[in-house]
Amino acid sequence: MALLQISEPGQSTKPHEHKFAIGIDLGTTNSLVASVRSGRPDTLPDENGEHLLPSVVQYKTDAVIVGSQAKNNQIEDSQNTISSIKRLMGRGIDELKNQFENLSDVLPYTFVQSDSVVPKIKTVVGDKTAVEISADILKALKKRGEQTLGDELEGAVITVPAYFDDAQRQATKDAATLAGINVLRLLNEPTAAAVAYGLDSGAEGIVAVYDLGGGTFDISIMQLKKGVFEVLSTGGDSALGGDDFDHAIAEWIIKQAAVKPADLSSGLLRLVLHEACKAKEALSDVEQVQINIEFTDNNWTGTLNRQQLNSLIDPLIKKTLLSCRRALRDANVEKDQVVDVVMVGGSTRALRVRENVAAFFEADLKVDIDPDRVVAIGAAIQANALVGNDSDGNLLLMDVLPLSLGIETMGGLSEKIISRNTPIPVSRAQEFTTYKDGQTAMALHVVQGERELVDDCRSLAKFELRGFPPHVAGAARIRVTFQVDADGLLSVSAKEETSGVEASVEVKPSYGLQDAEIEAMLKASMEFAGEDKDTRSLREQQVEADRVLEAIDSAMADDGEEMLSADEREKIQQVRSELAIARHNATETQELKDAMKKLEKVSAEYVARRMNASVQKSMAGHQVEEFNK
Amino acid sequence: MPNPIFKQNYFEIFSVPVSTALDLSQLKEKNHELQQQIHPDRFASSGDAEKREAMQITSLVNEAYNTLKVPVSRLQYMLTLKGVDMNGETDTSMDGAFLMQQMELREEIADVKSQADPLDVLDTMSRDLKNQAENLVLSFAEFYQQDELDKSREIVRKLQFINKAQKEVNDITEQLEDELI
Repeated sequence: MALLQISEPGQSTKPHEHKFAIGIDLGTTNSLVASVRSGRPDTLPDENGEHLLPSVVQYKTDAVIVGSQAKNNQIEDSQNTISSIKRLMGRGIDELKNQFENLSDVLPYTFVQSDSVVPKIKTVVGDKTAVEISADILKALKKRGEQTLGDELEGAVITVPAYFDDAQRQATKDAATLAGINVLRLLNEPTAAAVAYGLDSGAEGIVAVYDLGGGTFDISIMQLKKGVFEVLSTGGDSALGGDDFDHAIAEWIIKQAAVKPADLSSGLLRLVLHEACKAKEALSDVEQVQINIEFTDNNWTGTLNRQQLNSLIDPLIKKTLLSCRRALRDANVEKDQVVDVVMVGGSTRALRVRENVAAFFEADLKVDIDPDRVVAIGAAIQANALVGNDSDGNLLLMDVLPLSLGIETMGGLSEKIISRNTPIPVSRAQEFTTYKDGQTAMALHVVQGERELVDDCRSLAKFELRGFPPHVAGAARIRVTFQVDADGLLSVSAKEETSGVEASVEVKPSYGLQDAEIEAMLKASMEFAGEDKDTRSLREQQVEADRVLEAIDSAMADDGEEMLSADEREKIQQVRSELAIARHNATETQELKDAMKKLEKVSAEYVARRMNASVQKSMAGHQVEEFNK
Repeated sequence: MPNPIFKQNYFEIFSVPVSTALDLSQLKEKNHELQQQIHPDRFASSGDAEKREAMQITSLVNEAYNTLKVPVSRLQYMLTLKGVDMNGETDTSMDGAFLMQQMELREEIADVKSQADPLDVLDTMSRDLKNQAENLVLSFAEFYQQDELDKSREIVRKLQFINKAQKEVNDITEQLEDELI
């Protein structure tokens, strides 16, 4: 049927076609999906009217449960119910141990040792990586989007903390691939919030976005001007958030109750964290709360007041303010130039956070927007613009690289190639030479971070460059280009300049999945999702049928009258309605396929006539001389 | 055929005159106008080749913007337009008085923590450095105009010194502020 869709190259067959795209906020605690419908961006609720999807996944032998139901099962099935998985994205086991040293091995899961550099959690359905678990959350959001919008998705914009490094961004993109989502762009969360806030309020000038979520903190200093959102600087901590408030309170409870952390079962630990979180939230409204927990051998009751809470979380809030100051300095902006401070993320509901941030910026805060939903809404607005639905077409987001990129040099030092807060996309080239006669390969270790020593930065990957023509030592000129794209992701290419030979580049990520691992996961997910696959392929055929129907309708409207006899027209129309009925009623893929084939057969002659006419028409536009040349 | 933008110099890219006294708000505006056309987001539904081209062009424009935005790199770039490449240069002669002054400043920075009001002292240093840099840019403009390239070059080297000192002042200020919090 493809032949029916005759159009100029580069032009859509349907010029005013509306394409569906979604924005996804993949959060530590909660996730959301949003879309622009009839020009209005909004988050999409589930069938119970809930917008927030708790980022919790429970693995059962016969099902994968995502969301509030999984969250409710957390305590009783703590080993197989995974929450806050975002904190593990793009991280290695050794790093996690450092991150969670306060409550030694607090994560109530069993990590398995494996050959992969990526940590795996043991569940009843096998070992799961953070990428796979995130993919299950993304699948649930994608499904919600498709069901609400009733159409095939063109793609999604997925938000990430601005301070996510390359490995964490790559892991997020891998999760989307695994979930079958076409990623239009990875968008920084504060930038997304600024878009939603800025377009809504019409604010212009310099704006600070303070984004404290469940597990990450970002600060972005941005300039807003006529639809242009330019990030001047960004800073933060990709391992600091409301979860840490809970952990600090939980530690306090454990200390007060005089229990040994080692004696706690994973279920009990989960319960303490749960009570800590509840107490934290309650203290936004009341002066003090009573906490009651039944430990194995004692029933503990205690009181936590606001002042005590403040002393527990103040050190954490101070850390965020340090990042704010650095970001202002990097942006070359004074506090009094900041016109608005936009508060984003559930943890900015905490009174203490608001007090401190207001005092720091010496400004009133913008807290009138829903801090949970604003990021997803901003992502939806950009997704809508990226697929070409934005009629004004002047929304432009200019972002920066959050952390410097460097390569390891002699003595374990990091030589900066691209410094933090450089606008992206960006590319830098550097020339290297060989140090041995006949050397045909070299390896580069790329790290990310601000510190001098490679060991103090995050190792991203080793790039192995091969296939240079042999030269005597020092004669080769190897030009290595580091390219960071608009998603903030790094790629490396290399060329030997004297010969012009392009090197082959093999990437060995330090904390990421190898391409082969992702492929294996994709394959596995398809094998296990038999039923899913059937639904999916039926869905695909329905989309195909819609396309076919639309093509035949538009062709008939165009030239059906002149090219077909009444008889021919009637015959095509009849088969067309059969397909239209099958499109809605068919439960088997084959049924739909047959209906399409039938229509194809009956309209074959018509297609041929149209092609002929089209070729003649395009020749008619040219001068005869052109064909004589 | 490569996009003609790759043949333009950084000033031409933004259609601004080659000058030390660049109007930064004008540069910013031109950058926004240009990015509206070329940013990869404008090509999100295009083919891979166009996407790659958009990324490369935007990378070039970003590089050009960054270079022109900062005085020392702008001046250095202006010298390359006259065939002077200062990367990896070996001739680093500099007038003795300036070097002496710089060494004294470094010592002051190193000692600043023992002062009664170190943050005030650092603020003053920072302001002095900014003034010095502005004056150097002014004299660069004169020498550059008269094709006195060696003297222009020396000024860029002085600016590099001043930038390093400024960075040190900023780092220590940051450290001290951290300790206060």
